[in-house]
Amino acid sequence: MSQSNAATSDALEADSNIAIQAQNVTLSLGDGEARVDILKGIDLSIETGSTVALLGPSGSGKSSLMAILSGLERATSGTVNIAGANFGKMNEDELAVARRGRVGIVLQAFHLLPTMTAHENVAVPLELDGSEDPFSIAAEELTAVGLGDRLGHYPTQLSGGEQQRVAIARAMASRPTIIFADEPTGNLDQATGDIIIELLFDRQNATQATLLMITHDPELAKRCDRIIELRDGLIERDSVT
Amino acid sequence: MSGNLAKAWTIARRDLRGRFVGLRLLIVCLFLGVATLATIGSLTVSITEELANRGQSILGGDIEVSIAQREATSEELDALRDEGDMSETIRMQAMARLPERSDTQMVELKGVDELYPLYGQLTLENGDVAAKPSASDIFVTPALMQRLSLETGDTINFGESSFTIAGVIADEPDRLSEGLSLGPVAITSLEGLKSTELIQPGSLFESKYRIKLPPEVDPSELADRLGEEFKNQAWEIDTRNNGAPGTRRFIERMGQFLTLVGLASLVIAGIGVGNGVASYLRGKQNAIATLKILGADSAMIFRIYMLQIFAIALTAIVAGLFVGAFIPYLILQFAGDVLPIRPDFAIYPLPLFVSAAYGFLIAIIFAMPPLARAKLIPAAGLFRGEGNSWRSIDRLTWLAVGLSIAGIIALAVGSTKEPTFTLAFIGSALGILILLTLLGTLIRWLASKATRPKQPLFRLALTNLHRPGAQTGQLVVALGLGLTLFATLAAIQTSLNNEIRNTVLSEAPSFFVLDIPVERSEEFSSRVNAEGNSAEINIVPTLRGIITEYGGQIVSELEEIPEGAWVLRGDRGLTYSETVPEGSEVTSGEWWDADYSGPPVVSMDEEVAGVLGLEVGDSLTVSLLGVEIKSTIASLRAVNWRNFGFNYVLVFPPNILANTPHNVAATIQVEEAKEDSLLGILPSEFPSISMVKVKEITSQISTILNQMATAIASAASIAIFSGIAVLIGAIAASRQSRIYDSVILKLLGATRTQILSAQAIEYAVLAILLSGVALGLGLFAGWFVITQIFEFTWQPDWGVVMLTLAIGAIVTLGIGLIGSIPVLSAKPARALREL
Repeated sequence: MSQSNAATSDALEADSNIAIQAQNVTLSLGDGEARVDILKGIDLSIETGSTVALLGPSGSGKSSLMAILSGLERATSGTVNIAGANFGKMNEDELAVARRGRVGIVLQAFHLLPTMTAHENVAVPLELDGSEDPFSIAAEELTAVGLGDRLGHYPTQLSGGEQQRVAIARAMASRPTIIFADEPTGNLDQATGDIIIELLFDRQNATQATLLMITHDPELAKRCDRIIELRDGLIERDSVT
Repeated sequence: MSGNLAKAWTIARRDLRGRFVGLRLLIVCLFLGVATLATIGSLTVSITEELANRGQSILGGDIEVSIAQREATSEELDALRDEGDMSETIRMQAMARLPERSDTQMVELKGVDELYPLYGQLTLENGDVAAKPSASDIFVTPALMQRLSLETGDTINFGESSFTIAGVIADEPDRLSEGLSLGPVAITSLEGLKSTELIQPGSLFESKYRIKLPPEVDPSELADRLGEEFKNQAWEIDTRNNGAPGTRRFIERMGQFLTLVGLASLVIAGIGVGNGVASYLRGKQNAIATLKILGADSAMIFRIYMLQIFAIALTAIVAGLFVGAFIPYLILQFAGDVLPIRPDFAIYPLPLFVSAAYGFLIAIIFAMPPLARAKLIPAAGLFRGEGNSWRSIDRLTWLAVGLSIAGIIALAVGSTKEPTFTLAFIGSALGILILLTLLGTLIRWLASKATRPKQPLFRLALTNLHRPGAQTGQLVVALGLGLTLFATLAAIQTSLNNEIRNTVLSEAPSFFVLDIPVERSEEFSSRVNAEGNSAEINIVPTLRGIITEYGGQIVSELEEIPEGAWVLRGDRGLTYSETVPEGSEVTSGEWWDADYSGPPVVSMDEEVAGVLGLEVGDSLTVSLLGVEIKSTIASLRAVNWRNFGFNYVLVFPPNILANTPHNVAATIQVEEAKEDSLLGILPSEFPSISMVKVKEITSQISTILNQMATAIASAASIAIFSGIAVLIGAIAASRQSRIYDSVILKLLGATRTQILSAQAIEYAVLAILLSGVALGLGLFAGWFVITQIFEFTWQPDWGVVMLTLAIGAIVTLGIGLIGSIPVLSAKPARALREL
């Protein structure tokens, strides 16, 4: 954890009840006539331990906002404070280090490392963070998502639902403060998707992590504490369920 | 740092379990390049080591003193005998004649004493180890037996004596140290040789004194001491450490040249390495982005993939070294007769280390840029699918690439004895590389700007040349360099062969004649004119001497003979003349008057003077028959060495040399029908002469040139193989987009033939362009070498050059089309689901 601590040396003073705080965040890509303004000034504050659904039509800026909040992309302007770290001031490598133990990400297309077993996939973030016993923790986490008997399987030997379970285990393994999930059931059938959602909420409940989830499913969004709707790079509606 | 490396290695190992498409190209290219260099290096070292190991038997002693045109004085002999057992031999060219037959043959005649050979054995074909022949017996080589249709027991005449053939030589142990031979060898006793009366004051012979030293005596130290003690006696001293200097120099130079050709192949292989690594890392984009999401910083990404690439590179290099170390065994088994000496097979670490170093440096140069780009792949790409955001490479990477290029140049220059040539070769190769890179860019640009053809398949072919991710640039460089190398070699080889066939044989005289007694020179001319209708004869005095000092520099004190200063090695021909010799032109200073009677002056070849840094007015000392002549350079001459006459670097006025015992030499130009009759008559009437038939020499030179060309073409063929590997890699790299094109075209109603035609058009355009580029560059490089370096006439065999390039173009086209077959067989429905 030492690297994570080092990366937060210039962390802003923040309210410990606030996991995510964004002020006037903009994102523009391209220059001149080719410039596209994707986010046009987002102000957002999300409490620790809460669950939030991010809704909006395609092109509204959901994925871009999640990329910025999860430290995968730098905002063009504005401040981003994630679990006590000022992401806005960090370069790409500092962001990579800052994500360790702070942020877990689950993607629609799973993005498991195809050459590694489920066990190794889950162990990777722990190894990168210098964990002393990454494989024991990874095994526990896989058992928690119901894959305790599939540790040595490669991604190609697992079904889509199982792959997403591995991705959830991998995201949770380092006990992050915040889980970002980008349409986690988008590549799954309805039944499998439902199981995955149950699992995601179970793990969130068990770890008390903050969950920010992009979804197109209004019913799923209603399961969250709060729904934020984006349109054309701005927050159109922010409601508590 | 080591903890980070260990962590990176753990992840790298796991990540390597998958398919490593792209890295296969890296393996093939590095393997081919390193194996070639290791083969060349190992073979060169095995031959030179064998020359060194067998130094005693090759030299015939631990130390050898050679003296031109005289035997050692009793004082010299006493000094040499004081050092150990001493054996004496005399060697000269002489004409073998047959009693009652007009057949003659020039022979390397050698007289030996009873101690010969001090090391090794003179063995005969019947298996006997021969002792010194009696004064009336002679041993001859199979070549002489064959040429004159002889049998053991036949009689053969030399000069005034007759000899009985007592045996056929199977192995003459000191053959290699005797240098270039113009004819087959015959060995008799010293007494037998002297009985021929061919040893006369001024005749061209060489006395050699070999000494077997006590084990504690260092031959190099003794050589220095004797050289100092007898510095005015024109001795040429060799030791067992350098038994056959000419052969060693030839092998070393050939090895160096082949290494440079191999290095050029490795550069092409490097392009394959770069493409392979880039293609591999493109396939890893998602994995890289995922690792970043999981907390890997760019340094960690760089470490993971650098370790992977270099682990694979190491495997390829080790495999290349293994094969390269063992190919010499096969060469020795199947082509050992072509080599000057047949070494035993052994593994030589130094050339393997050098080849490995070249391989690693090439891997760094070509793998680092794509590695540096890979670490910059943004994690956000997984959200927006923008994986291919190539950013500029950091300075540290450029520094590593620059240092590696400097390392290759330093390694190449440091391991050569001709740094200027090496630098020129590397410079030319780099120049061509840059030119081809620019041409590749130009072709892409032109394809993008060209008017779009109306026919969709033509349009597709044209756009394939410049579409994003098109490999046109790399293919132009890799295949262009390989084909250029081949076109250059084809042009040089055929031009040299034509030079010999057309120019040499039409302009060269029919014979060179040596050792005509000066007092019989007019008689000789008359006899030639009487026998050969309209024969042209040109007679010049000929002597041999050693340059012992130039411009104040004592030659024996030089650590190493300067590059290009061949004139300082051993004894050289000298002549005298009242007038400027035919084929020479005074370029500075002044020629002496015809009746010059002043102190010693000399006229020197301006090119050699330039190498030695000499000018008119500088001093030059020549040792001649044991007498030192210190002279002043009076003039410098431009010498036309290609006029096939007797040309001399050093020409003196008659008053300096005319009274020294000497013979004259002659060139005879006679119609072909008269050649055999002159060869039958002249040696009988002038027993001391040696006649060299020029056609025989040119045929020997052609054979050697063809053998060298085969060796060079073998090394260069690796360049083509590497180029083909790059082509296959390029096809593989663009396969996904080609399958996509193919499927869409099929959906729109295109047939497989139509799609294949589009591919054929694309590869044909590329093949024609590459052949054209290779033709232009190859012809320019060949022309430069032939006209500017060899100073020969430019007369390549256009048919061979064109055929070489046509084969190159057809292979390019063929491989391109074969590579397209999987693209054509893609089933639209399945492909659309998977793409």
